[in-house]
Amino acid sequence: MKAEPKRARFQSSTLPHLDRLVTLASHWADGQEAEDDVQETYTRAWIAFDQLRDVGAAFPWLCQILRTVANERRRTRARRQELVFITELEAAHEEIVASDAPSPLDELLARLEAGRLREALRSIPEDFAEAIELHDGQGLKYREIAQVTSVPIGTVMSRISRGRALLAGLLTFSDEKRAKRGVGT
Amino acid sequence: MTEAALEHARLQELVAAFADGELPPDEGRAVQAHLRGCARCRRELALQQELSRALAKEPARGASAGLRRRIERVGAPAPGRSAFLWKRRWAAPAAAALVLIGIAGAALRGRHGQRPVAEIPMIRDALADCRRVMGRNFPRKADLRAVAEGLQFPVHPLDRPGAELFSTWKTTLAGSPAAGLAYRWRGILVVQYAVPTELIRQQPEVAEALRGAGFYAASEQGQGIIAFLEGGSGTVLVADVPPEELRRLML
Repeated sequence: MKAEPKRARFQSSTLPHLDRLVTLASHWADGQEAEDDVQETYTRAWIAFDQLRDVGAAFPWLCQILRTVANERRRTRARRQELVFITELEAAHEEIVASDAPSPLDELLARLEAGRLREALRSIPEDFAEAIELHDGQGLKYREIAQVTSVPIGTVMSRISRGRALLAGLLTFSDEKRAKRGVGT
Repeated sequence: MTEAALEHARLQELVAAFADGELPPDEGRAVQAHLRGCARCRRELALQQELSRALAKEPARGASAGLRRRIERVGAPAPGRSAFLWKRRWAAPAAAALVLIGIAGAALRGRHGQRPVAEIPMIRDALADCRRVMGRNFPRKADLRAVAEGLQFPVHPLDRPGAELFSTWKTTLAGSPAAGLAYRWRGILVVQYAVPTELIRQQPEVAEALRGAGFYAASEQGQGIIAFLEGGSGTVLVADVPPEELRRLML
């Protein structure tokens, strides 16, 4: 295979996804580290490009490589702090869905500054946050997320459902409790 | 728990997937029917939809101009170097890029010459194994003890400043068991194969080079392969740098 036609195919298949990959990388790492991860991802993708059979699946494929790169650096665990208090978030979520009162979420979401919701994802467990980011943030289908994260599709379904419930609980958690826990949204 | 409560619990788990249009038609219909009579699940549906919509609207960070330029150079041929070379932001030009992957075997010829390098069985299999592990983005563990277990020869990892071992795996080269080890070193990836000494000696071109220079080196367009014997085992190094540079990693 000639290098230049291959390079042209590589660029047309992967460059349209660059911004999305940087956004996704920012979920796992901060600032320059996120860009370094994306750069490493494209290097590996170029080398393994012959193995990409379906260019329509380039984005999930790149996500999978990026995820491996990020995991290799073992940043995820280091970044995630002791902010998870699942039981209380589940209780807060339950208050929303069990009550006949209008949901406070609409108003909360309308008031939230741009970018803060994605930041809030960092306060829920990584597996849940990752599935939500890949679906809602990056538009991957459940089966693609299953492929990227190497888990059954039923697990993806559960992680997204439960993750959004925790996120809702986090957003509606009272300011007083949030301050006590040191959580920011 | 009543049958209705059990059914509620089951369908409640599917509300998010229903909101995302990810359920098969029969399950979708079951959830839809349940929603008509369950206020709690309707609120759950609204919650899931609201959050999903809000997250989709979150601003994307986007790539910096510098990163975009570097990405656009991926795969670009550099003077005197392979088309596979690519400079990392912090790396010197001579220390760029990656392993021998995707190279047509017939195009690879070593300085020893009688037959293409990629037709030497041990080298051919090493290149194929490189492609395989790179395609899978490298095994995720680096466990020297596990990779050496059961081998009849010692596995000596590279011991050079800055060589960071990040992956190990078992493999077979030319019918012999081998250990694969991957490193980051000065901004490039280096793959090392630990093999039995007999395997090295069974490759005529390699054995001849060992008798002369004490090591085997081959290159094409800047990519290098080094093979040598040390400490009771053979080592094959593969990286996308000239063999002269790769030699600095010899044990």
